[in-house]
Amino acid sequence: MKSGRIGAAALGTAALLALTACSGAAGGSPAAEDGAPSGDVRMIVPFSAGGGSDQSGRAIAAGLEDGTGLNISVENREGGSGAVGYSFFLGQDANPNYLLAAETALLALPLTQDVEFSYESFTPIMKLGDDYTLLVVPADSEWDTCSDVVTAAGDGRVVAAVSGATSLDEIVFTLVEQDQDVEFDRVPFESGSEVLAGLLGGQVDVASLNPSEVLGQLESGDLKALCAFSDERYEYEALAEIPTATEQGIDVSFAQFRGFIAPGNITDEARDFWIEAAEEFAESDAYDTYIADNVMQANAVYGDDFVDYLEGNRAELEKVLVK
Amino acid sequence: MIDNLLLGFQTALTPENVLWCFIGVLAGTVIGLLPGLGSTTGVAILIPLTLTLEPVTALIMLAGIYYGAQYGGTITSVLISTPGEAASVVTTLDGYKMARNGRAGAALAISAIGSFVAAIISLALLMALAPPLADLALEFGPVENLAIMILGLVIVVSFAGGAFSRGMMMAALGLLISTVGVATGFSSARFTFGNVDLLSGIPFVEVMIGLFAVGEVLHQIRVGAAAPIRTRFRDLMITRSELKRSAAPILRGTGIGFLLGILPGAGSTLASFMAYGIEKRVSKRRGEFGKGAIEGVAAPESANNAAANANFVPTLALGIPGGGTTAVLLGAFTIYGLQPGPLLFETQPTLIWGLLVSFFIGNVLLLVLNLPLAPVFGQMLRIPYGYLYPIILLTSFVGAYAVSNNMFSVLIVLVFGLVGWVMKEIDLPMAPLVLGLVLGPLLEKSLVQTSAIGQGSFLVLLQHPISVGILLVALALAVGPTVLRKVTASRRVQQAAAKEKDSVSR
Repeated sequence: MKSGRIGAAALGTAALLALTACSGAAGGSPAAEDGAPSGDVRMIVPFSAGGGSDQSGRAIAAGLEDGTGLNISVENREGGSGAVGYSFFLGQDANPNYLLAAETALLALPLTQDVEFSYESFTPIMKLGDDYTLLVVPADSEWDTCSDVVTAAGDGRVVAAVSGATSLDEIVFTLVEQDQDVEFDRVPFESGSEVLAGLLGGQVDVASLNPSEVLGQLESGDLKALCAFSDERYEYEALAEIPTATEQGIDVSFAQFRGFIAPGNITDEARDFWIEAAEEFAESDAYDTYIADNVMQANAVYGDDFVDYLEGNRAELEKVLVK
Repeated sequence: MIDNLLLGFQTALTPENVLWCFIGVLAGTVIGLLPGLGSTTGVAILIPLTLTLEPVTALIMLAGIYYGAQYGGTITSVLISTPGEAASVVTTLDGYKMARNGRAGAALAISAIGSFVAAIISLALLMALAPPLADLALEFGPVENLAIMILGLVIVVSFAGGAFSRGMMMAALGLLISTVGVATGFSSARFTFGNVDLLSGIPFVEVMIGLFAVGEVLHQIRVGAAAPIRTRFRDLMITRSELKRSAAPILRGTGIGFLLGILPGAGSTLASFMAYGIEKRVSKRRGEFGKGAIEGVAAPESANNAAANANFVPTLALGIPGGGTTAVLLGAFTIYGLQPGPLLFETQPTLIWGLLVSFFIGNVLLLVLNLPLAPVFGQMLRIPYGYLYPIILLTSFVGAYAVSNNMFSVLIVLVFGLVGWVMKEIDLPMAPLVLGLVLGPLLEKSLVQTSAIGQGSFLVLLQHPISVGILLVALALAVGPTVLRKVTASRRVQQAAAKEKDSVSR
């Protein structure tokens, strides 16, 4: 099976080589001169295979492959909460044949760890969409709104689960604390599914999880969602009833973004090439499927707009993470 | 129940599904064989290739890779002392010794039989009791997990046997090495010296490859190449008495593996270590452990397979993955447009029961595949070590690089290869070190969580009934044998005294 794959890849590469050779002979501009990508492209995923980043990396790679005809292979370089992959990517400066599936670690790592990169070291191409969180509690909980939870936290002890020191849920709980002047007790976990087990087992009182992580438990009635920390209500049928936190008087909205970036110092041609390919990807069915499968909100932005978004997002993160 | 089983057989027994099940278990065996390439990575890499298949067919194949890898991981542990999976580390202790004694075929056969029995028993439990078991598993929070870790460490201590202090020392060293990197719940890095590669800690798969594979090769070079094992094919078969000796260890291993497997996060590695430790405690042939006792292969191999299957309890009944590979499998559910969660049993009966029944078929295929092959693999030891060494080194380094596509992994293998060699030279046990390294992060996580739940106090350990129960078992294991020995000793003295009196009065 493996040799079959390698064989297919080799065949594909050979065909691509032949194609580029042909276009060169026909007088089309050879790729190397204007710095646009050609041939084999690598999509770096700074997390392990099978996780959320991996899924988005593979979806983006497949979508861009369809649009550009390039051969894009995914490579997992995990470790250090993403630091290993981003640091490797930093070493690919000016190489248009590398991409990286980025998310909030791009901003959180430079704020909390001693790493050599920041988002300015790279060329942001596209933000695919936003993954907000829902405040969830066990179905038999006495709380029915996020305000109930905030009131309880003001009166006594509310134990919140968080999945990491720089994770989305930690950020959201800190924002609520700052907005409402209350305090949550925290129990740290290492992933969304561990948090889910803690919540169902009654070891913690509340959690703030991505919709895709809790949809099954919401449908079965094991958990209930009290509010969404998003700007607007979800349009998905199963989530449309959930009010936003703002509606309940808590002015907190924070999303994890997913997108992709290119190395720093690539040529304008290469940057435009990828932005164009990204816009084409956003028009495709594959993009819609990815967003719907992961229950995200489709707010795609490109290039400079993505840079502006990152700047604003970093400022907000800085308030939370740098104490 | 009967309806569900029939539905399952209808789904799983179509020629296409049986074929893909076979492909899955075969691929799994190969993936388990290769050091570094574990079932988690194997499943993740192969997901894209299954996108054109029916969801149930795809999942049957991917799950086949998972439990197939549990069988494959044993083969290299036994033959060349190189565990293919972390859960097979402890198998090297007696498995490799058995191979050096010319019993490689028996070791491989008993691990296949043990794995099969464990799989069938845990599958029956899984089918009959998944939802209530899953609810039970939820009762095990951080506090209970901490108690389990303590129990695990106590059992490790029993490992070392005579060399008690050496075992403790190595387990402590393992725990120490595991503190490198960022701890749960914190964002500051420890002992990384500004090195980005160290942020996620010293990876245990690479440590394992270095210690066991490279260390063993260096050791063999130093002592002069071991002679190839020449045994007649017939002598590689498992004997009746060996089978009889293994029956009870297989059942005990299955029980331990299943119990630990249904808890999200405890894992099959700990299960295999605990099964070995307990076997050593209860066995009449305690002295043979570490020198090639078949019980030391049967118990942990049954335990890791039972744990792998039990992992599906929280995965399918709750939508909460029990371990790394089941987490990737749950991710695959989403890709096929299925919503993982507690409703799967109701909304997708064909898929779930088809999948569960396919486990039976897959395990039968694995047994049929592995039993006749055991003596054949055993014959591989006829290859002179001069040819085997380069192959072991090559697969070790390539395997390590494949873990994360990073030369840093290869460096870790080299460093720990030297460490492993030195440890062998001065006779320090390596298995406790690996367990310390594997258990370290889990122990620390439970410690941090328990302290958070108890608002800084560890007294909560004594407020949860389950954790109190586990701690009592740990206490009994720790002091029980000593007390027992003292009691029987004093009784013997009394009896002797009584006898003496008797003879005197006569």
